[in-house]
Amino acid sequence: MPDNQEAREVVGDYKAGWKDTENSTIRFDFGLSEEVVREISKLKEEPEWMTELRVKAYNHFVKRPMPKWGNTSTLDEIDFDSICYYLRSSEATEKDWDDVPEEIRNTFDRLGIPEAEQKWLSGVTAQYESEAVYHSIREDLEEQGVIFLDMDRGLKEYPDLVKKWFCSVVPLTDNKFSALNTAVWSGGSFIYVPKGVHVEMPVQAYFRINAKNMGQFERTLIIADEGSSIHYVEGCTAPSYSTDSLHSAVVELIALPGAHIRYSTVQNWSSNVYNLVTKRGIAHENSKIEWVDGNIGSKLTMKYPAVILKGEGAHAEVISVAYSGDGQHQDAGAKIHHLASNTTSKILSKSISKNGGRGTYRGLVTVSPKAENCKLNVVCDALILDEESRSDTYPTMEVANPTARCEHEASVSKVSDNQLFYLMSRGHSEEEALAMIVNGFFEPFTRELPMEYAVELNQLMALEMEGSIG
Amino acid sequence: MQTAADYLSLPQPERADHLWRYTPWRRVHPTGDVTEVPEISSASVSIAKLDGSTVPEGVSLERVDLELGDLPDSDPFTLSFLGAVTATSGWEVKIDSKFNLDMPLLLDIDTGEGSSAVHLNLQIGDLSEFELITRVRGSGDWFGLLRTGEVGSGSVVNDIVVGLMQQGTMLRVDSLDIGRDAQVRVGTVSSGSDKTKTDLRYLLKESGGSVRVLGSVLGAGSMHLDHHVEILHDAPETFSRLSWHSACGGNSRTVGTGMLKVMDGSRGADAAQIFHNLLLSKNAEADSIPELEVLEHEVVGCGHGTANGPLDENQLFYLQARGLDPSEARRVLIAAFLNSTLSEMGSENLHDWLVVLLSSELERLGSGMEN
Repeated sequence: MPDNQEAREVVGDYKAGWKDTENSTIRFDFGLSEEVVREISKLKEEPEWMTELRVKAYNHFVKRPMPKWGNTSTLDEIDFDSICYYLRSSEATEKDWDDVPEEIRNTFDRLGIPEAEQKWLSGVTAQYESEAVYHSIREDLEEQGVIFLDMDRGLKEYPDLVKKWFCSVVPLTDNKFSALNTAVWSGGSFIYVPKGVHVEMPVQAYFRINAKNMGQFERTLIIADEGSSIHYVEGCTAPSYSTDSLHSAVVELIALPGAHIRYSTVQNWSSNVYNLVTKRGIAHENSKIEWVDGNIGSKLTMKYPAVILKGEGAHAEVISVAYSGDGQHQDAGAKIHHLASNTTSKILSKSISKNGGRGTYRGLVTVSPKAENCKLNVVCDALILDEESRSDTYPTMEVANPTARCEHEASVSKVSDNQLFYLMSRGHSEEEALAMIVNGFFEPFTRELPMEYAVELNQLMALEMEGSIG
Repeated sequence: MQTAADYLSLPQPERADHLWRYTPWRRVHPTGDVTEVPEISSASVSIAKLDGSTVPEGVSLERVDLELGDLPDSDPFTLSFLGAVTATSGWEVKIDSKFNLDMPLLLDIDTGEGSSAVHLNLQIGDLSEFELITRVRGSGDWFGLLRTGEVGSGSVVNDIVVGLMQQGTMLRVDSLDIGRDAQVRVGTVSSGSDKTKTDLRYLLKESGGSVRVLGSVLGAGSMHLDHHVEILHDAPETFSRLSWHSACGGNSRTVGTGMLKVMDGSRGADAAQIFHNLLLSKNAEADSIPELEVLEHEVVGCGHGTANGPLDENQLFYLQARGLDPSEARRVLIAAFLNSTLSEMGSENLHDWLVVLLSSELERLGSGMEN
């Protein structure tokens, strides 16, 4: 049970809601046009094919209507003309924290990133607004041929590798927001793990939006070659503003035969951020992709990490938790497509709604006609903590092979009075007891996170539970 | 909403619309031309006791002109279409208060040939206790069934609809209100028509109401059987269970989509739904979407589940070891699977009747369920 005072000291109050003075070196005007798209590409000195890809994606974004499902009323409030699509706050991506501009460095210090790097990470990239401001990787991994760069440098240094895989998992026509990302992407991570290399400690990316009405569109591409493994961890925060910001990332994972990718996220956006993210991986023969996904904060999150099980014997897991507070809607879930035989998958989703928040699980699992002997299991549980909140579950299963074994179960409930009574009879206040039950509810998720992230998540939840009673 | 003009004024449903995701409207429209409201004849309707004898006092079936208002929580699109095509084929089934009968009532609908439709309005009085089977038969190309009405307070009703058209398309919409402390079982036995699209909605609008929605669906050949069930809890202490079993073979496809909505203020609501699908052949497909929307915090519980799988090899082996040939063993296991919902639909009388029906359907469709 974390001490709330201690928790407040660690994470502040939204916890990460402070803002720095904006010291941009380049700031685009609000609004989006083909000119803006070409300008971003020119600024980054990109190859012609990437510029054209961006323009094509922009045209698709313009043509594509807004989604007609989900929380359309909140989605329709997005004003694409009042968003800044590119803002650079630092001249370069540094390899030493001391070279990062002081104000930005202080922000990441407060978020604990440099300290974490020393203790338990194989590499770090820190993105502030549109660009990475700091980047490092352990020398021994570099020597083994592991590539861990911010996406812009990845494109410059490994154009052929990027060209081969970019948009191969999430095509630019996939959805309106992936098209937007493809048009204006900036930053993100590019990782290639060579055959047979195991990156033992996680690598981390931290994404911070600081400016008002900012759009952050990072692009991440991770390729794990045959028999390799990597654990990638990302965290996200933004200051609280009265106007909205947009975070629309695209993440593409490719697990080649026998590889293992674990992608862990703890997002703690302020309640003025639209978080509309497309995350998808392709798993080849006997490979494994895991999404461990924590969603706290944001105005509206729409995020459904997906895995395409393309190779025989591949395995996918999605473990996600979502906390919806006042004015928030966490529309999260998972998608798994079983295209090959003997593939297996597991989805575990947990959500909590409080103070009028709305938690939604939206999932899709398909088994194709040619995929024999697939097994899949979906479990989603939701807790509603008060009268104003709501919880929805929209799971879809499409099974076209008779040998598939598919199970889905879900429940929506309130906190058990018996559990509260038991803990209070052991001397805990009602508020503490509730926080413990909530942490216990999230435990299948937190135990999959690196220790530091798990502790931070527990602390965040303890703060969110403050004032729950009475 | 019951005129052709009402229907034509509404936008066509899109595939993004949950209700039309797997079955586009044009596929179940009588002519396929969705801008048209064709002339549809009236199907013939009769009622008797299950043994063929005349219905007792307290039960009436009358041809009436029905006014179809804006029914709450219904899909305006199908409702307006069916309202328009049944404008001259309305029937009222009236059951008096405190009516009590052991023998099930059998409401027979003969679709005839071509296209036909019926609007049945069920007016079930308070404190009645009986079973009603609605059987749809015929060799028509298209049949529309609209069932509206109310179940009175304290009534205990088993209401079973059996779809046995030999071919063609069946479009069915239910919109039933369930009164205070009423206990209703709504069973659907679906087999026969090439295409079936149902949209079944039950409203628990008063406290203590209870509904069990049960489905036994058998798909063979190239059937497309799409069933959507919505249960709305809009009062305290209401109870619902949705249990749907689909077995599909051949090139058939079954779709089961459910929505349990627990509205704010429905304290003590207890809602659950489960879809079980048995896939019998390589080309069969089963889709299920059990949805939940819970806006009330003080609920007993809200859950859902779905499970898909093939016939159990061990069970097949066991039955063959007992002397059954492989196709017989398959039939027994399919019957057992579908029987688990049939057996909950009502009394022993009713169950016996349904089992005979299921056996003959399995016999008739046997070869259509193979690969």
